[in-house]
Amino acid sequence: MAARRYRIGVLFSDSGPYGTVSRALRNGALLAFEELRQQGSAGVDLEPVVVDPAGEPAKYPELAARLLSQGIKHVVGCYTSSSRKEVIPHFEKHDALLWYPSHYEGFESSDNVVYTGAAPNQHIIPLIEYLLAHVGRRAYCVGSNYIWAWENNRILRESLTAAGGSVVAERYLAVGETDHQKVVRSIVEARPDFVFNTLIGTSAYTFFRDLRAACTARGLAQARDIPIASCSLSEPELAEIGPHAMDGHLSSSVYFSGIESATNHGFVQTYNQLFPGGPRVSADAESAYIAVRLLAASIASAQSDNVEAVRAAVIGQRFEAPQGPVWIDPHTNHTFLTPRIGRSNPSGEFDVLYAARQPVQPDPYLVQTTPRFASGVQQGRLRVVR
Amino acid sequence: MTEPRILQNFLGYRAVIVTEAPSAVSQLEATLTKLGLSVSFARIDAGNVHLGEDVLSGHQTILFIDADINVTIEALGQDRPPQLPVIGLIGVEAPSRLKAIMRLGATATLRKPVYGGSVYSALFVGVNAFRQRRTLMLQLEEQERRRHGRRFVMKAVVALMRASGCDEDAAYDRLRRESMRQRLPIEEYCERFMRALPGAHEQTTESQGTTSTEKSKRGGT
Repeated sequence: MAARRYRIGVLFSDSGPYGTVSRALRNGALLAFEELRQQGSAGVDLEPVVVDPAGEPAKYPELAARLLSQGIKHVVGCYTSSSRKEVIPHFEKHDALLWYPSHYEGFESSDNVVYTGAAPNQHIIPLIEYLLAHVGRRAYCVGSNYIWAWENNRILRESLTAAGGSVVAERYLAVGETDHQKVVRSIVEARPDFVFNTLIGTSAYTFFRDLRAACTARGLAQARDIPIASCSLSEPELAEIGPHAMDGHLSSSVYFSGIESATNHGFVQTYNQLFPGGPRVSADAESAYIAVRLLAASIASAQSDNVEAVRAAVIGQRFEAPQGPVWIDPHTNHTFLTPRIGRSNPSGEFDVLYAARQPVQPDPYLVQTTPRFASGVQQGRLRVVR
Repeated sequence: MTEPRILQNFLGYRAVIVTEAPSAVSQLEATLTKLGLSVSFARIDAGNVHLGEDVLSGHQTILFIDADINVTIEALGQDRPPQLPVIGLIGVEAPSRLKAIMRLGATATLRKPVYGGSVYSALFVGVNAFRQRRTLMLQLEEQERRRHGRRFVMKAVVALMRASGCDEDAAYDRLRRESMRQRLPIEEYCERFMRALPGAHEQTTESQGTTSTEKSKRGGT
């Protein structure tokens, strides 16, 4: 008997300022669809319906509404938090499920979203712990001027302050801004222990090149003297940075393409066969791949794409992903994932420096790690009175 | 007294929800649990809400009160200043309901049916606004107490000038130094100083009951 066919929306941008990452997400999802088609034995036939918002914020809700009005119940999609927040009301209205594969800053847990990317306790907290243990305590923060950077910098500042460290400066640039001369000069003068980078897309790539060039001009070895640490810097982005500045950067991610396992080798091989033109395989591709595989297993288990049935079915799924075993936390709809720290090498990949021993429970609201009180309010300071 | 720090992590806090329509707040309960709070519903019995003294004392407790029911207003008492943060659950946006929730001390509101995405904001603003307001009230109380005590300072300065022949500044310095040595506010020290003088009873009878430095020390969320 032929398996019943279900149409699944795929909502990623093919172009725009973060097109490279977004294409990696889309490719990961398409790889899973293709793999399921070839296997044929998964008991479920999924047909991807691909739409492209081209990086335009207004297109996301418009295309999401169009997919859902066609009776589609499940959409894998979105990269930025702003696009996710734009589409969620449509998923609630139609009682549909968004399978959101990007790492993000947390503080959300919608019943209409399944989150397969890293929550903040799975990327920024391990990175801060690594930096404090191995790099230093003086940070210079550079980020794109939006929620991802603001929130990550808040978490960094609180963790550093608690550990007796400090933030030398916090600078924000408009998304897409590529003139970094002023901030690069300021960094080289300040000589922080590390730069914490939350720039995205083209802004980030030019920043890596500019800081490397400025350091080289002053006789500094940037990767050694002022290393750049990022949450989620990925392999396709190293390629965008280019061969002269792609090495020596620290990244926190639940997946690197160099993970040694048979499952991962198979995943990388299939990906490279399907998408020879890139972008290179990355955490984003793996996360979207996980989303589709968990969705397929849940639909197969529920024997339906009914949202309530799938939501219940996904709880019991455990998937052997390229990064290792993953499963959904029933309390938050986020995924158990394995944090890792990598350092980029001249071949455009990451050497894994650290990996958690087992998958870590997602904590999107950081209730287990955030200090009770916000930092930044100066009080209780003593001064000498003569 | 310094400005209260901004509270951002509510792990271990307790939320008590007062409503007759639990289905309208299912998302509130679910989201509060995700945020690390324990959630319970207050018992409503024949129009009365039963909030134990442990709830009203307010340690790490936040009250969510449905503005669409009347019982809560009687249960808490309208004249009593809130000792714990109150967040109003708004159904009908009518002035009478909003006024009722204001009089209960609400510092934030949530619309019913409650949407999960708005809970953390209401919690954050509601609790921190409560903490700021409580600090301001305690500061006001402290200032009022000190203002009341200033007349004893004046009396003590005059008495000391008469007794020792020193000038006003010297008298004040001596009183201030002695109050610091005894670790008392100067107002309180001067009141005690005046009481200790011969014939002090007549001078200070009208001031009884105004010296407690313990007044401003209160616990709570």
